[in-house]
Amino acid sequence: METLVKLSFYCFTAGSIALIGAWLCYLGYAVGRVRLRRSAMATAEGPTISATTAEFGPGSYSLGRFGSLLAWFAVVFQGLAILFRSIAAERGPYSNMYEFSLAFIFVLLLIYMLFERFYQVKQLGAIVMTIALAMAVYIWSLPASMREVDALNPALQNRPLMTLHVSTAILAYATFAVSFAAAVLFLIQIKKNVSWLPSAEMLDDIGFRAVTFGFPMLALVLILGSIWAHQAWGAYWQWDPKETAALFTWLVYGVYLHTRSLRGWRGTRSAVILLIGFAAVVFTYYGNYFFGGMHAYGGV
Amino acid sequence: MAQATVDKTALPRSPLEIIVDRIWRFFCSVRAAVVEIAILAVLVLIGTLRGSDAPQWLANAIPATQPFVDRWYAWDVFGSLPFIGILTLLSIAIAVCTINRVPGIWNTIANPTVRTSRGFLRSADLSATYQNATPPEALLDDLSTSLKKQRFRVITERHGEETHLYADKNRYAKLATFPFHLALILILVGGIVGGRYGFRENEFLIPEGSVREVGHGTGLSVELVQFRDSWREDGTPAEYRSDLVLYEDGQPVQEKSITVNNPMSHGMVTFYQASYGQAATLRVTDDEGRTLFDDSVPLGLYTHANNPDAPAGVQVLPQAGVQLNVIAPDNNRANAPELDTLNLRSGQMYVQVREIGPNASDERPSAAINMGETARIGNFNVEFVRESRFTLLQVASNPGIPIFWVASLLLVAGLAITFYFPNRRIRGILSMAPGSSGSQLELAPLAKRDWSAKREFKIVAEKLADTLQTSPMITERASVSDTSEVSAEGRASAANDSRSTSVASKEVR
Repeated sequence: METLVKLSFYCFTAGSIALIGAWLCYLGYAVGRVRLRRSAMATAEGPTISATTAEFGPGSYSLGRFGSLLAWFAVVFQGLAILFRSIAAERGPYSNMYEFSLAFIFVLLLIYMLFERFYQVKQLGAIVMTIALAMAVYIWSLPASMREVDALNPALQNRPLMTLHVSTAILAYATFAVSFAAAVLFLIQIKKNVSWLPSAEMLDDIGFRAVTFGFPMLALVLILGSIWAHQAWGAYWQWDPKETAALFTWLVYGVYLHTRSLRGWRGTRSAVILLIGFAAVVFTYYGNYFFGGMHAYGGV
Repeated sequence: MAQATVDKTALPRSPLEIIVDRIWRFFCSVRAAVVEIAILAVLVLIGTLRGSDAPQWLANAIPATQPFVDRWYAWDVFGSLPFIGILTLLSIAIAVCTINRVPGIWNTIANPTVRTSRGFLRSADLSATYQNATPPEALLDDLSTSLKKQRFRVITERHGEETHLYADKNRYAKLATFPFHLALILILVGGIVGGRYGFRENEFLIPEGSVREVGHGTGLSVELVQFRDSWREDGTPAEYRSDLVLYEDGQPVQEKSITVNNPMSHGMVTFYQASYGQAATLRVTDDEGRTLFDDSVPLGLYTHANNPDAPAGVQVLPQAGVQLNVIAPDNNRANAPELDTLNLRSGQMYVQVREIGPNASDERPSAAINMGETARIGNFNVEFVRESRFTLLQVASNPGIPIFWVASLLLVAGLAITFYFPNRRIRGILSMAPGSSGSQLELAPLAKRDWSAKREFKIVAEKLADTLQTSPMITERASVSDTSEVSAEGRASAANDSRSTSVASKEVR
C-alpha cells in the first residue's frame, strides 16, 4: 500500500510539473505577442531621432499546442495519482482536503480539455491552469502527514454515497471554475476587444454551458448529501454551515441563470455574477477550515 | 387608433383589477424573482457565517463591531421572519409564474406561429440561403425529410407564392422548467409536513440491558442489548455499534445491530446511532426489600462539584422522593488533581442520595461503593452491580421524506432536461427564385445571443446542403446585444465587425 501511495504522490509531482509548463504556454498564448519596433529618422541637421513602439498580436500557435499537450500530460499524471491512491485506500480519494484537491485538479483539467476541444478555444487555459496550479500549490502546502491514507471515521463509512456525493461536488466545482475563466475572459474582451481572444458571444456561451452542467450537479450534491445525512444523522437537512454554504452557491448560480433572460443583464452583469459564484465555490470548498458543524471532520 | 380609444373607454378597469394585475405581474416578473433569490442568498450567507468564526474575526479586527457580531451570532436566521417570508414569497412567485407561463409555452409547442417575414430572416444574427434549380414544391419534400432526420418537427404553411416553414426539436423539454420549479415548492412542503406531523428525539439514551419507550403514540420501545466500539491502532474510531431489539406494544418486532450509516427503521420511525457513553448499573432497595431501581445510570451528562473532571449522572427515584447523584472515577487524574476530592479508584462508584421536594432535607448521605458490593446510604441499600455503557440514538419520524424524494427527482430531472435537451427552432421561407424557375430557401434560427444554437444551425445547414445538392450562403451578423455595456473602443469595433461580416457573407462549402 505504501508503494502505491508514494507512486500516487510521484504522479502528482509529475502532473504539477506538466501543469506549470501548460500554464506558461497557455498564458503566453492568451496574452499574445508583443513586438517592439524601433524607428529612426534622420533630421536635416544630422542627428537621428529614434522611437520605440509596441505592437500586440496573437500568441504563437505552437504555444497553444504545447499548452494543450502539457495539459493532457497533467491530466494523465493526475489521473494516475488518484487511481493509485484509490487502489491503496480501497475507496475514492475523497476523505480529506488532500485527496479532494487531487481529484479536483484532475476533473478540472479534464473538463477544461473537453471544453477546449468542443469550442476550439485555447486562451481559456490561461485562467483554468492558474486555478489548477493554485490548487496544486495548496496541496504542496498541506502537511506531509496528510499524504498518508487514513481509514474512514464511522460517519464517512458509506462508500457508495461518499463517492457519489463528493464526486458530483468535484464535477460541479470544476465546471464552475471553467465558467469563471470564461467570465474573466469575457470581461477582458468586452473592455479591451482583443482580436485574438474568442468572441464575447462565445465566451458568454462557454460560461453558460459550464453553469448548465454545474448547476444540476450542485443540486445533485445537495440531494445526495441530504440522502446521506438522512441515513447517517437522521435528518436530511440540518442547516449545517457546509450545507448552507453549498445552498448559497447554488442560489448565486440560480440568480445567474435568471439574469440571462433579463434585458440589460446578459453579458457584463451576468459575467460579474459568475465571478461572485466562483467566490462562493471557493468559500464552500475551503469552508471546512472555518465552519463548525457536522462537516468539520472533512477539513484537515 | 380611433378603434383603440373606443376599446379603452368601453372596458375601463376597476382599481381592484389594476391592483390584482400589478400583483400578478410582480409575481411573474423575472426581475423580481432575481431580487428575491438574491435576498434569499444573502440571508443564507449570513446564516452560514453565523456557524463559523468569520464574524468574530471581524469583531477582533474592529472591536467596535462586537455588539453587532454578538447580535449576529444570536440571530437564528433560518427560523427568522425575513427568511420564512422570502421563502413564502418565492413559493408564491413560482406558483403564479407557473400558472402564467403554462398556456403560453403549451401554445408554442402545440400551435407555433409558422408565418415569418423576410425582415426577420434578413436581420437575424445568422441565416442560410439556398438557390436551387428544383421547383419549390419538389424541394419542400426533401427539405422536410432532411430536417425530420435531424429530429426536427416540421410545419409548413402556404402564403401566396411562398411556403413558410417552422421547425423545432426538443419542444417538450420546455415544459421541464415546471417540474423543476414545482420541486422547490414540494421541498418546502416536505419540510412543513415533516415538522408538523413528524417528531425527532436527538438524545434518546438507552443504557445496556435497559428498555426505553419511544413515545409519541408509536407504541414502540427499544432495548439496548449491547454497545460495542472498536478502535484502530492509531487511536481513531473504527465503529460504533448498538445491538437493539425493537418492541411494538410489548412484542419484539425487530432485532438489528445498527452503526452510524446503518440505521434501523420500522414504519416511519428510524433509529440512528449518534453517540455513546459510560453508565453504572445500580440496584436500589428500601428497608422492606422493595426494589426501587434496577437499571443503569448514564454517566458523562453531568459533572459534580466534588470532582468536575469525572463523568457523573443523575437518576431520580420519584416513588422514593430522592435523587441519586452518581460519580465515576476521574478518567484523567493528572488534570487538576486538586479538584478531585473523592479519590475514587477504578472499579468504584460514588453515590450520593439527595431528597427532592418542598420539604427536602439538606442532608446528602453518600458512599463510595466497590463493584459487586452493596452500601447503606441513608435509608436505602445501593448495590453497584457493574460498569456498563449507554448508547445515544436519534429517533426520527418524518412523513415529509417521501415528498422530499419525489421533489428531488423532479428537480434533478427537470434541470437535466431543460439544460441538456435545449429547444431549437428554425424559421424559413421557400419561394420561387427571382428570375428563374428554380427555388430559393431562406432559413434562420431563433438563436439571438445563443452561440451554441447558432453552431447547431450551421451543422443543420450543412446537412441540408447535402440533401438539397446546393451550397448555402451563410450570413453572420455580429450580435450587438451587449453594445450598451461595451466600451467606446469595443463598440466601434463591433460596428465594424457587423458591417464586414454581413457584406462579405461566406460560403460554407
